[in-house]
Amino acid sequence: MNPVIQREFYGILRSPKALAMLLILTIVFSVAVLMRWPSDASADLSGSQSLEVFRIFGYGLLAGVMFLVPAFPAVSIVNEKNDGTLELLLNSPLTAGAIYFGKISGVLLFSLLVLLSSLPASAACYAMGGIDFTAELGLLYFVLLLLVIQYSTLGMLVSSYAQTSDAAVRITYSAVFALFFLTLIPHAFMQGTGDWGMLKWVGDWIRYLSPLPAVMEIMGQSSVASAGLKETNSTLGFVIVTLVSSLLFAVKTLTRLNYRIFDKSRAQGVITDDRGLGTRVARRLFYIVDPQRRKAGIPWFLNPVMVKEFRCRRFGRMQWLLRLIAFCAVVSMILTSMTALGVTSWGVNSIGALLVVLQVMLVLVLTPSLASGLISGELDSGGWALLRMTPMSARQVVTGKILSVIWTLLLVLMATLPGYIMMIVIQPTMITQVQIVLICLGWTAAYVLAVSAAIGGMFRSTAVSTTMSYVLVIALFLLPMIVWLRREAPFGQDTVEAALKSNPVGAALGALQTPGFESYDLLPAAWWFAGFVTLFMLFILGIQVWRLTRPD
Amino acid sequence: MSDSEAVVETKDLTKSYGDFTALDSLTMQVGKGQILGFIGPNGAGKTTTIRILVGLSKPTRGVAKIAGADCLNESRKIKRLVGYMPDEFGRYNNMRVSEYLDFFGAAYGIGRRARNRRVDEVLEIAGATHMRDLFVDALSRGMQQRVGIARTLMHDPEVMILDEPANGLDPQARIDMRFMLLRLAEMGKTLIVTSHILPELARVCDLVAMITKGKLRAFGTLDEIMKDIKQRRTFELLLLKGDQVDRTAAAVRKWLEQHSAEETLGKSDVTGAPAETMVRFSTSLGDEALSPLLTHLVQQGEAVAQFREVATDLEDAFLSVANAGEQGPQMKASAPLPKTADAGANAQ
Repeated sequence: MNPVIQREFYGILRSPKALAMLLILTIVFSVAVLMRWPSDASADLSGSQSLEVFRIFGYGLLAGVMFLVPAFPAVSIVNEKNDGTLELLLNSPLTAGAIYFGKISGVLLFSLLVLLSSLPASAACYAMGGIDFTAELGLLYFVLLLLVIQYSTLGMLVSSYAQTSDAAVRITYSAVFALFFLTLIPHAFMQGTGDWGMLKWVGDWIRYLSPLPAVMEIMGQSSVASAGLKETNSTLGFVIVTLVSSLLFAVKTLTRLNYRIFDKSRAQGVITDDRGLGTRVARRLFYIVDPQRRKAGIPWFLNPVMVKEFRCRRFGRMQWLLRLIAFCAVVSMILTSMTALGVTSWGVNSIGALLVVLQVMLVLVLTPSLASGLISGELDSGGWALLRMTPMSARQVVTGKILSVIWTLLLVLMATLPGYIMMIVIQPTMITQVQIVLICLGWTAAYVLAVSAAIGGMFRSTAVSTTMSYVLVIALFLLPMIVWLRREAPFGQDTVEAALKSNPVGAALGALQTPGFESYDLLPAAWWFAGFVTLFMLFILGIQVWRLTRPD
Repeated sequence: MSDSEAVVETKDLTKSYGDFTALDSLTMQVGKGQILGFIGPNGAGKTTTIRILVGLSKPTRGVAKIAGADCLNESRKIKRLVGYMPDEFGRYNNMRVSEYLDFFGAAYGIGRRARNRRVDEVLEIAGATHMRDLFVDALSRGMQQRVGIARTLMHDPEVMILDEPANGLDPQARIDMRFMLLRLAEMGKTLIVTSHILPELARVCDLVAMITKGKLRAFGTLDEIMKDIKQRRTFELLLLKGDQVDRTAAAVRKWLEQHSAEETLGKSDVTGAPAETMVRFSTSLGDEALSPLLTHLVQQGEAVAQFREVATDLEDAFLSVANAGEQGPQMKASAPLPKTADAGANAQ
């Protein structure tokens, strides 16, 4: 047996977190099925009740795979690289293929266990009747297995490029998030806009990268942005695209598993100030805020920790943030102008909803990566002991760290302001709605920041804290939306309304009268709830920091 | 030295974790401008002591003071008085050395202009001026140690506590580090330095504290500790042929048994090395008592090429103290502190 498989698989299994995860999953799946288990004496001959249960189970399993699988391959190579064991492996008689195969097999075996943990629940579903074993249950597992392969190969590829484990986790989850949701956007744009030829074909194939249309097809539902039409080729498209993309990810990773992975010289510390005038001007124009210029000392009125956080982060540095914000501002203005000029058939409300969704996605992707490592990053690097030795109080340290994230989020939130302003110019009556939306987005940012920082602060390893923050934050925002998607059955008006109140996104969409959200009364309850969660999480963070700053 | 002259002082310092005592009644004093070498194997209690001194850990019993400030209750004062360089560097990615030092200067509340000046000064003291624009995460281990010392100096502390500053350094970097420590002592800084590289410490330290299993086994100047160690000296007998080794070792052992007190002779005290044609033994006998041994061996017909005493260094001292510590009480709990001026002499 390949020794790498043995070590990887046992390594994952020996972790108490993995065991806890499997147990929790088994319980959650079983409880979810039991909750929808028919309790009345009448038999459901139509099979609609079992289909409802099957759908809850299927989407739950999809979410489980999306949240749990990427974390393991994402750190698989980068941890070995940083611990020095990859050098030992590459120096052994094992070929790159054997190492890769061993590593991915370990991850796949564990993922298989994740899928197997749902077997009791799926058996119960099948026992209810009305579910086809091959065309529904079997196909669902086949699609999820392919998804596991795709996420594992993607995670390994990212891991081979990443310098730190938390960066690997962050990039992998962002990529998974993008594959899941962003791939649906091009198709959604072109839906019902006539024949766009090649562009539409490309949009269709990009959409197949997301597992959602395929799973919805298996569940017998019309897919996202399919205008109510049932599709029949989503699963086939997904299978083809996933196999091809997984193969590409694997081949690319394999080409990196050799001496080149270490063949990188130390940064020479080039400073723009020491270079020629032409270079200085060119860099200034390109970067706006040149990361390689010599920086002035930290001014007295700024919290040193806040400045330090800005300077030492790789992800979310100022030059990239400015570009992102400029991009968002331009896109939001173009979208709004297109609506105003009648280029598209969308109303201003639809554009507003799109802006909200895009902005929430940005917040969900950016915030956990910035906030989850505020404490664990310091513990990981040994910087916490040094910070404790300075005369700065724990409050100053945490305030500086949180401020660094708040400023970033404010910039991100302001990015779409031009779009909203144009919206008000087009339709002045929308000013109150826009104000509500902006407050909702502000609360969303605060909510995600507080949850990420508090959860991240509970762990000593940055990779674990980033993973846990992403999983929790995405779950908090995705689950209410899944409940909303099933608003006709099995969930009723009250359940959906209660779920949507758990974060302010539904309220923002409701304020814009987005189709499907108009009938729910979410304000001000959603704000109160977000405020309570934010304060509670900040309180937990405060306690954790207090605990860490006391003498041992 | 009176208590008032001591800059670093611990009394009956004890730290327990449940039943496990990591540090047991540590009492010592270090004067201004002195370098204390803190020696002990892994898990001996060195880092525990250091963490208590810098206020990161709370003692179970006893007192630790730096320049009169209580390490536990006056942590703000301690933070100003002490510069601490832990074993782990504490790197921040994407930061240049100058930005890194600037950050710590700002954290200590040093004004921007003074901070800029101070960054240049500490880089010069640490011999790291050329690293100013390099990224902290791209520094080699030796470079990190220098930058670590520069960071420790940013707020001009009275006492510097350096945990393994010579760890992972190449020979040239070790020599540089030694001179840097001496220079800091000349500047009036009091230094507490832990290290596993004992010859390095022997060259710079005014005082040595040896600790094993949480207990202070020896404390004093190097000379004083050596004097204690030398009560039990090591000798080597160089023979002509390898087949003599076992026979001679047995003869030496028998002779020592007849002439030494029983409790002082252990099994490991006489060892033979046939490959080196050598017999090595240690004994507490003085020159006069030991001199008949050579005559005895010659009378037995053994051809002895050399009979010599092995010079004792800090490593031997440490091993001897550590082994003795397993059996008995500490050799010396406290010793008179030497004058600050001796620091340079010891280092030569």
